[in-house]
Parts: sequence; structure tokens; C-alpha cells
Amino acid sequence: MTQALATTVVVASLYALLATGYVLVYRATRVLNLAQGDMMTLGGYFLFLAAAAVPGQPALAILTATLLSALAGFLIYRLLIRPMAGHPIFAAVLVTVTLGILLRAAIVLVYTDRIRHPLPLLGLANPPRRLPGGAVVSTFDLLTVGAAAALFLGLFAFLRLSPLGIQMRAAGEKALLAAQRGINFQLLFALSWALAGLAGALAGILYANNVRLDPSLGILGLKAFAVALVGGLDSLAGVIPGALLVAAVEVLSVRYGDPLLADVSPFLCLLAMLLVRPWGLFGTKEELERV
Amino acid sequence: MVRRALTLLAALLVVTVTPALAQYRIGMSAAITGPASSTYAPTYEAYKAYFKRVNDAGGINGQKVEITYEDDRGEPQRAAANAKKLAEGSILMVNASTSATYKPFMTESESEKLPLLFGGGVCPREAFPPANPLIFCSTSFGSKWDSRFALGFIKEQAAGKKVKVGFAAQDIPLSRIELEFAEQLAKEMGLEAIPVVVVPGNTPDFTPFAQKLKDAGADWVLSWALWHVEVGVFEALQRLGWQGSYLLYGHQQTQDELARLKAPNLYAFGGNTLFMENLPIHTEITNLVKGQTTHPAHYMAEGWVSAMVLEAGLKKCGWPCPKDKLATALAGVSVDTRGLRGGPIEWTADNHYRKNTYYKVYRWDPSKNGIAPVGGWTRLEIK
Repeated sequence: MTQALATTVVVASLYALLATGYVLVYRATRVLNLAQGDMMTLGGYFLFLAAAAVPGQPALAILTATLLSALAGFLIYRLLIRPMAGHPIFAAVLVTVTLGILLRAAIVLVYTDRIRHPLPLLGLANPPRRLPGGAVVSTFDLLTVGAAAALFLGLFAFLRLSPLGIQMRAAGEKALLAAQRGINFQLLFALSWALAGLAGALAGILYANNVRLDPSLGILGLKAFAVALVGGLDSLAGVIPGALLVAAVEVLSVRYGDPLLADVSPFLCLLAMLLVRPWGLFGTKEELERV
Repeated sequence: MVRRALTLLAALLVVTVTPALAQYRIGMSAAITGPASSTYAPTYEAYKAYFKRVNDAGGINGQKVEITYEDDRGEPQRAAANAKKLAEGSILMVNASTSATYKPFMTESESEKLPLLFGGGVCPREAFPPANPLIFCSTSFGSKWDSRFALGFIKEQAAGKKVKVGFAAQDIPLSRIELEFAEQLAKEMGLEAIPVVVVPGNTPDFTPFAQKLKDAGADWVLSWALWHVEVGVFEALQRLGWQGSYLLYGHQQTQDELARLKAPNLYAFGGNTLFMENLPIHTEITNLVKGQTTHPAHYMAEGWVSAMVLEAGLKKCGWPCPKDKLATALAGVSVDTRGLRGGPIEWTADNHYRKNTYYKVYRWDPSKNGIAPVGGWTRLEIK
């Protein structure tokens, strides 16, 4: 049982990293970024690129990959999403779908579909770690949990305490009012996209080192999308319970039910949530009506 | 003026059409992109490199081999469109893709009476005795036979000791059916079989599935799935401190991955010789594909053998080579694979898989600090 608990926390952390991207972008721009999973993949490939360029220097490679991903998020907003202002939100969502397809195709063109493992290039190992209670996780499992915790603490501190974070919340809530108060909401929206890129990249970097890297990883983004909806699409606080719930159902369905259920369990959770509380665990009802 | 224009047009048509007809025209559909492409795209690349060499050397029987390539991404809808398109004017179609694409190709082959060669994807039932006259398969792996060999190997390694065997399948029909067959066969062979654990290919963490196998007390685990699932379960088992042995089907990635994992309890079986054996044919392929492919040379074995078989069939067919004559020619080929496989590929009128199939097992040998074969080739007679 402790192993199932440990695995649940690890899987939930990965989902939380990805789901944060959905929530940040949605809160700021009301766009469902369906390319979030592919932004995760992109982060993994940025790491591979950086690791190949500076082999044996993991800190530099990871920092480079994270910054490149944040820059990619910024550019996606600046070049693709901002021009959609004034058009129906639906059009912007379609842009993100197209973006996901293009990212995948670009990755295949450059790196082919071969499975990659950046870990040896970084000169790192991923030994197992025994936890109290007998559960075993990998080192990168622990790093995934740590990264998710650090990201959430950082985001909460940033959004609650920093002037920029407060402005970001204001712009997300009432962009027009924020603009009238002199807040550069375009910059804040771009920052949200950059942060989403960063969160996705963290997930991609950790997963690529822990499991594998290939162009199809973006499919995990769909499960994280279910997490974001279960938690409440406009609620960062909802991401953690949403991720824990979805991960627990997924892990327990393998242990006690049919392993095949694992793949669909996030969507079963989503369906159940939509039937009972369509705005999610911590989402706001008004937001759902706006959607 | 009009007459001159018509004459010019007619001349142009002759120039355009004649060379295209005076060629062996083949159509190939492969999962060049898409989730399964890491398994199938190398076959496409091997074909391109192989027939470039053939054509550069003057072709076969004085005729060039013109291959039209289409990407089906491993999707049946795309495959159906490709089958229709490729059937037009071709004397043979090649499928190097997932089993989901087989049906439209077999339907088209049947309706057009067009020979169909599976090269790279798992061999369909129709290639085995009694074979469909139009269906051929050169792929090294074949359902049921792979399990027969794998379980025989496990039994041999157990050396009379009672062992429990677990099975890690992927949530695709082919993998599940194969390992359900293996589970049944294991019982018949006197091995203790643990029910098949089916693993979704998109799982974020293989640990729960590995835990299930470990908790069930598996001494051996057999996996026959796409590579990332096969290896994902093994790595999770290893992390959990499992002490058993793991046997998986060795896809093109085997050589890279055995060297990456350096795990002596990981065994990979397959029908192709690994390039680390450095046979003359391996050097030849490596030199030939240099700069021509996006995959490394040691991914080319599967496609290379398939291309060798096709070349042999076309040679035997002669010129002209209509599709019915080619089907008859293919049914009698015997191809020396020059060490890429354990023996020749021999097809007969009712066996389009091969008279004998060969398997070899590799693993990481810590004493040699390298990959080493576990014994030699094992031959199974296909009846």
C-alpha cells in the first residue's frame, strides 16, 4: 500500500506540473491551451539539445532548457495568441491544437521518432531510493515531487506577494479594468504563457530523464487536462487535489481493478466531476458559465 | 500550328509515359511518422537505400525498380487511402506498418489480385501455411512462434527448476493475443503462469504494473510489445528491487538499449543478428546508408532483409513481370540473408512465412563489459 501511495504522489506531481500550465494560461487569457502536452515534449527536447551541446553539465543544460521553454511560451503568446485578440476564444483554442501538431511534426523532422534518453548525456544516474515504509521510487521521481512542490510554493508566493503577481491576478480577472489602471496586461498574459512553458518544460525534463523522451509524450497532456478540469480550470489551488485524486484512481485501478482502466481513469474522474460539480473542485461557477 | 502542337504533345506523352512503364513499379505504405514510426520508419529508409544501390547498378533484369512511398502513420484510414492509390499500376505492394493497417491492404490485394509483402510489421496469419497465394511476409518476428521460442528459452534457462512466468503485454490487440497465447502455452509446457498484465502504452508510470508482476512472484517476465512498454516495465521492476530475469522481443532499439541499461538479467530475443557482431554484411550496410538515413545503420536489418527478398523475387520474375507472375516467383524464392538472420528465407507455394525461422538471444555480459549472445541460433520448423 505504501508503494501505491508513493506512486500516486509521483504521478500526481507530474500531472500537477502539466496542469499548472493549463490553469495559468486559462486564468490569464481564457484560452484552453491544448498544446500544453506538446510544450512538455518540447521542454524534453530542449534538454536533449542542451545536453548534447554541453555534455556532462546537467545544471547548465537544465537551466538552458527551462529558459528556452519559457521563451517558447512567451513567443507562442506574442506570435500566435495575441493576434487572435478580438476573435472568438474557440479560434485561439484551435490555434493551440494546430500548434501541438506542428510542434510534434517539427520534433520528428529534427530528431525522428527514436526514443531518446538524455540522462547519460547529462552524466547523471537515476538510482532507486527506498522510502520509509518500504516503498521504492527513483531519484527523478523524488525530483518530480520536489519540483512540483517548489513550483507551487513559488507560484503562490509570486501571485500573492509580488506586485507583478498581483497585477497578473488582476489582469486575469478583469483585463480591461487592469489596463485602465495602467497595467500592461499584454506583458502579463505573455508572462503567463512563459510560466506555462516553464511548468511544461519541468515536467518534460523530469520525465525524459526518468522514463524516456519521444515525440508522443504530449499525450500525457490530455490526462493532465482532465486534472485541471477536475481541480477547477481557473484554480491553481485545485490542481493539487485534482492531481492527487486522478493519480490515486489511476494507480489503484491497476492495483485492485483492471490495469486497462488506468488509461481511461482520468477521464472517468473528469466525467464524474462534470456530472456532480461541473466547475471542478475549486473552480468558480461563474467561470464555467463564461466558458 | 495545331498539328505541330499535337505532335509535340504526343511526343511529350511518349517521353513521360514510356520510362515509367519500363520499370518494376512497387508501392510501399509505412508508418514513416506517428507513434509507431520508430519501429517502422527504418524499414522505409532501408528500402530507399537498398533500391538506390540496385538502380545505380543498372536495376534488375535491365529494369529500374521504382518504388512509390506513402506514409500511413500506422492509421487504418490513411492505410486504406494508400492501398487504393498504390494498387494502381503497381505489381506488388509492401506494408511496413502496424497491424491496424493490414485489413485495407489485404482487401485491396485480394480485389486487385496483387501480391502483398509484409516487411517490418508482424506477419499475418495468411502468410503461414496454408498461405494465401498473394500474401508474403519477411519480418523476423511472428506471432505464436515467438512465444514458442521464448518459453522454450525460459524453460531451458530454468534447467528443471520450477519457475513462475509473468507476462507484460501492451493494450494493443496483437500484444495481448500473443501473450494470452503464451500464458496458455506456458501452462501446457509445465511452467507456472501468472495472468497477463496489460499495460497502457501511455502510462506515466510503469511502477504499478511492475508491482503487480513482482507481487505475483514472477521469476521470469516475458514481454512482447512496443519497445517503450517492454523496457518501461523492466526498468520499473528493476527499481523495485526485483531479482528475476526479463525476456523481451528485441526490436531495432535492442543494441542501444542493452548497452544503456547494462542489466545482466535483461534478455532480448529476436530473428536479426545485432550489428555488434560486426559481420561483413553489417559493415556493408553501415557504409552504404551513411548520410542517407535518419536512423542508425543497426536499425536497418529488418528492412534490408525484406528488400533482399523483394529483389530475389523480381530477379526470378524476369521481364516483363506482371503481378501474377511475380506472386508465383515469390512463392519459390530462397534468399541467403548473409548472416542478417540465422538462415535463409525460403518460401514455398503454401508457406509464405519461411520454412525455418531462427532466433537468437542477447544480453549484457558484465564480464565482457559488452553485449553478448546467449548461445547460438535456435531453429524452429514452420509447418
